[in-house]
Amino acid sequence: MIFINTFKTHKSDQTINLYMKNIKYQSVFFLLLIACTVQAQQFTASLKGYVKTTAQQGIAASTIRIGNIYSSTDETGYYEIKNISQKNVTITASAVGYRNTTKTIVLKAGENTFDFELVSDQKEIDQVEVYGRTKAQEVNRQAFNVTAVDATKLYNTTLNISSALDQVAGVRVRESGGVGSNFNLMLNGFNGSQVRYFIDGIPMENFGSAFQINNIPINIAERIEVYKGVVPVWLGSDALGGAVNIVTGDRFKSYVDASYSFGSFNTHRTVINAAHTTKGGFFFQLNAFQNYSDNNYKVTVDVADLNTQQYKEGVKVKRFHDTYHNESLIANIGVVNKPYADKLLFGIVLGKSYKEIQTGARMETPFGGWHRRGTTVMPTVKYKKSDLFVKGLDLTLNGNINVGTEQNIDTVYARFDWYGNRKYVPGKGGESSYSMYKYKNNLAVANAILNYKLSENHSLSITDVFNSFKRMGNDEVNPQNASLERAKLSQKNVLTFGYQYDVRDRYSVNAFVKNYHQHNVNGANEIVKNLSKWGYGTALAYYFTPSFQLKGSYELTVRMPTPDELFGDVENYEGNFALKPENSNNFNLGINYDFALNAANRFSLMANAFYRNADNFIYQRLNNNQTKYISDNRDGVRSIGGDMDLHYSHSNWFTAGLNMTYQSVVNTQKYEPDYTGISPLYKKTMPNIPYLFGNLNAAVTLYDFGGKDNKLTFGGSLQYVHRFWLYWPLLGGTDEESAKRQIPMQMALDGNVVYSIANGRYNIAFEGKNLTDNRLVDNFSLQKPSRGFYLNLRYFFNK
Amino acid sequence: MKTKSLLSVLAAAILITSCSKSENPNPVDPDPTPGVGKYIVAVTPIASTGVADYLVTSNSLDDGKVSIIGNGIEQDGTWRYYLSTNNKFFSFLYGQGNPGAVTAYNLENGKLKKLTNFQSETVAAFAAVNDDVLMAKMSRNLATPTHTWYRVNTNSLSIVGEGSMNALELANNGEIGYFSWLTQVGNKVYAPFFCIESSSFTTKYPNKAWVAVFSYPDMKLEKVFTDERTSYIGQYFTNGLGTVENGDIYAFSAANATSKRKDDPTKSEITTTNPSAILKISSGTTEFDKNYFFNVTEISGGYNIVNWTYVGGNNFIVSSKKKQSDGSYSAETTIAAVNVVDKTFKTVTGLPNASEIKSFTQRNNYSKKDGKIGYIGVNLKSGKSYVYKIDATAATATTGLEVEGGSITAIEHLD
Repeated sequence: MIFINTFKTHKSDQTINLYMKNIKYQSVFFLLLIACTVQAQQFTASLKGYVKTTAQQGIAASTIRIGNIYSSTDETGYYEIKNISQKNVTITASAVGYRNTTKTIVLKAGENTFDFELVSDQKEIDQVEVYGRTKAQEVNRQAFNVTAVDATKLYNTTLNISSALDQVAGVRVRESGGVGSNFNLMLNGFNGSQVRYFIDGIPMENFGSAFQINNIPINIAERIEVYKGVVPVWLGSDALGGAVNIVTGDRFKSYVDASYSFGSFNTHRTVINAAHTTKGGFFFQLNAFQNYSDNNYKVTVDVADLNTQQYKEGVKVKRFHDTYHNESLIANIGVVNKPYADKLLFGIVLGKSYKEIQTGARMETPFGGWHRRGTTVMPTVKYKKSDLFVKGLDLTLNGNINVGTEQNIDTVYARFDWYGNRKYVPGKGGESSYSMYKYKNNLAVANAILNYKLSENHSLSITDVFNSFKRMGNDEVNPQNASLERAKLSQKNVLTFGYQYDVRDRYSVNAFVKNYHQHNVNGANEIVKNLSKWGYGTALAYYFTPSFQLKGSYELTVRMPTPDELFGDVENYEGNFALKPENSNNFNLGINYDFALNAANRFSLMANAFYRNADNFIYQRLNNNQTKYISDNRDGVRSIGGDMDLHYSHSNWFTAGLNMTYQSVVNTQKYEPDYTGISPLYKKTMPNIPYLFGNLNAAVTLYDFGGKDNKLTFGGSLQYVHRFWLYWPLLGGTDEESAKRQIPMQMALDGNVVYSIANGRYNIAFEGKNLTDNRLVDNFSLQKPSRGFYLNLRYFFNK
Repeated sequence: MKTKSLLSVLAAAILITSCSKSENPNPVDPDPTPGVGKYIVAVTPIASTGVADYLVTSNSLDDGKVSIIGNGIEQDGTWRYYLSTNNKFFSFLYGQGNPGAVTAYNLENGKLKKLTNFQSETVAAFAAVNDDVLMAKMSRNLATPTHTWYRVNTNSLSIVGEGSMNALELANNGEIGYFSWLTQVGNKVYAPFFCIESSSFTTKYPNKAWVAVFSYPDMKLEKVFTDERTSYIGQYFTNGLGTVENGDIYAFSAANATSKRKDDPTKSEITTTNPSAILKISSGTTEFDKNYFFNVTEISGGYNIVNWTYVGGNNFIVSSKKKQSDGSYSAETTIAAVNVVDKTFKTVTGLPNASEIKSFTQRNNYSKKDGKIGYIGVNLKSGKSYVYKIDATAATATTGLEVEGGSITAIEHLD
């Protein structure tokens, strides 16, 4: 309580200087505080209720303030404030578009209820949608450098999670083809597994090929949080630089959301989400989705003749062996709001995927028979309880194991040309490598999050995440291949201790320490490797005004190599068991600033600067035969860059956004293996990394179009990636004859029209992708879809 | 429409801010005078990330400097193999299983000019035969024992013939006969091979040499001749035959065949007990000459031969390894001059200290075959690389062309 009293002497309108002086004292008192606050609770009361409009509708994201304690309402207008130590309190409720309301009430010990009714402020009502903070915007205000994508705004599109992420500043998703193709997400200089994925805080590392961010439709998510650099404690994993958390949310107690789309390249997608909660607290939820595409878009390639093997250059052909489909279902059943559990859910994730492989790491060689199949069979359990044993102690437990299988099928011993003609080779074999290898990764994840809120401002947390991988399999056509048969094992544990101090809309401080441990066994020769590392970090945020926030964070991150990096993915990715864990010193500095020229013209700016200095940096390169990718360590890689995201809205009918990212990623390996001299590539730009890219989008909405509660929206987006070199920029000539390989500049223009009827119950959307039909390439020579059109129908109902 | 113009203005803004920043210095061509003939040097960059060799050209191998920093033709692939025939330079991509591109170049105004790309299977042996390049793709798996050969015509630059053979019929001992190389001899193709049980390259026959004789161009197996005084001829991906001026053919064996260890079959060890030696196939015969035997192990004092370059006048520049007490060979390579008629083995002097050397260029060293001079690439640990000029009669080496930015993997010449 000492601390809070100190702070109280400085009212919000006092100068920053005064506040800064106090920081020293504050840090000294941190430890004392923890003890003091526990003892100081003689009178405790909690207050809850709703903030509503005069029409009795809940107001989301409104602010409730008692002295220096702040809280905000959820989507339904509900708020809750715990641990109030005074009896007589003055409460203020404020929300954008409404007049502030202040009441003085007398609290009784224990629970109190109080509802507010706010009168609308006519002058500002038009800006509610823009200015009122959604949950996604709330996330952006954390001390971490984070961008939250409000997925609900994208529900009428055919986007999957990865393409939605591609529109975030600092993020670039590189894809190798059409629907279901391999992807690599790059975030502030890091990519691949250096960025970790979570769904509702649960690591997604074990979800299998049938359930990946490139095939999960956007409608599954309520929002997507992109943490750049430092990752919050409760996402306790081993990301080297950033994490993506998909929040599915439980916005409504009972709802149905169903959509179906079809379009070019015989692409079909269906998504059904439904949930129902009974009065008795019984909860049932179902998410089901399906993607299908022939991916038979046209590409321009050098076509080799099957007999003379001569190339015919620049021939336009249709992809002929690239069908992808996946079907997934998530079902959860359980109880909510019971004395023993806020939430206890048992569920299952079932998924199935089929993927034909058209090319290797290069387009010159088409395949015509090689394909993969995968299944996900994953029982899950989720448990959550607040105020367990004592007030403020929250426990979350999650566990799941994926016992699904993956199979690599390559049994056609023939060469194909780009027209789909084949020429058999005598004997037995495969196109790449004769295989029917079927394996289970037996991926399991368990995590526990224990959070103790010592007072309104302090909290402590412990997070533990355990991952286990055990690949076992056999190959019926290659029974003697011992390397496939003996188990490959990888187990990882990440334990995090965190402390948070938070004063709403003023500042917040996070600090944490992490321990990483990994145990690996390579079955082929039974080599055992144990790896152990420590990491730590901090995140700070300071609000100059409620709409101008400065934040900074630092972390020494560690990332253990993933099972696929160690053992390969049995497709286009080769294993490297010798990989060492990578670590990085990450610094971030960011600002969030919302400002308005006048009532109609509003801006929101997020800017982020980053510095990453990584050791034993794990990066992907082509293997020595250029048939597969392989991961390798470099002594060091340093990235410096920045990204910014500017949003503009005019009244409630026009919005535009621009984001830009620039990064310089240089090699800091001074000596190459087997050499004693300083490498000519020391401090030189790394190859094959986009360094300048951006996105521009705009949308116009016409309200009450063709009837009341109907809405027509036109949207467009333009994506730009600057040209970059495939190999070391320093090496080789750059004139035409030197044939230096580059990934050319790319510009993709997409457009859409969405018509929503009856307040969004029925929606029809028409989308055009790559409208100018540019040849798009993310990975060298692997062309992405040509122009395509899609129609999306969606029904949404909730109660 | 307003929206559209805004879009294009912002797109233009992105473009303007993104003016290309290049750290590529584009240095002046160190060798601006166009010559009649040019040397081609293939250089693997120091920090290889599965990256291609760069091809640079030079008028001389005796002095000067070439660099791959901001200079040179970039190629696809790390494992590239080279062949010059019919005054064209061929660069083969080794793609283990997958087909890869073969690029053909010629010289135009003193610069390498790409003629064409064509696709080829991954091959582990190839040779110029008449106007063709003969290539062989080989199986390492007893379950699929088929070798395939291809003929590429160097005038039409396309595959003009192909065929396959049963790899088990070569040695007829239950193991795959794996060609170390292919060599045209008159109107035939001689193909020395070694026997393998699996892709680990072990054998139960470590004390035998085999050469298969094929007709050309139909590649019919006519004969296999053998010898049991040494081990197999050549090395994996290495030409073990050398034809001298009078038509006699000499063949070296490194005597380093391996077998599975009895105590641990997942490991292998050298089991050849015969010495490293040079054998002779007299001109016009398809037999090893029983009267010729050059016991390299004995004459050199414990060295073998793992690679060689013929410089004419019965002189070869050889790469050698010293036999260790445990039966293995040293990692360190010794360069020596060998005369196959005089049966002499002389260690070459004038090269940098062994401790400073990272590697020597294998396979594609250059000689005009004047009976004396050969050029080999020496790659130092410091990161510098040089072409050394070796006098095989005097067994001396002198520093030649300096190469900056990587290791020399091939030295070739086009007229």
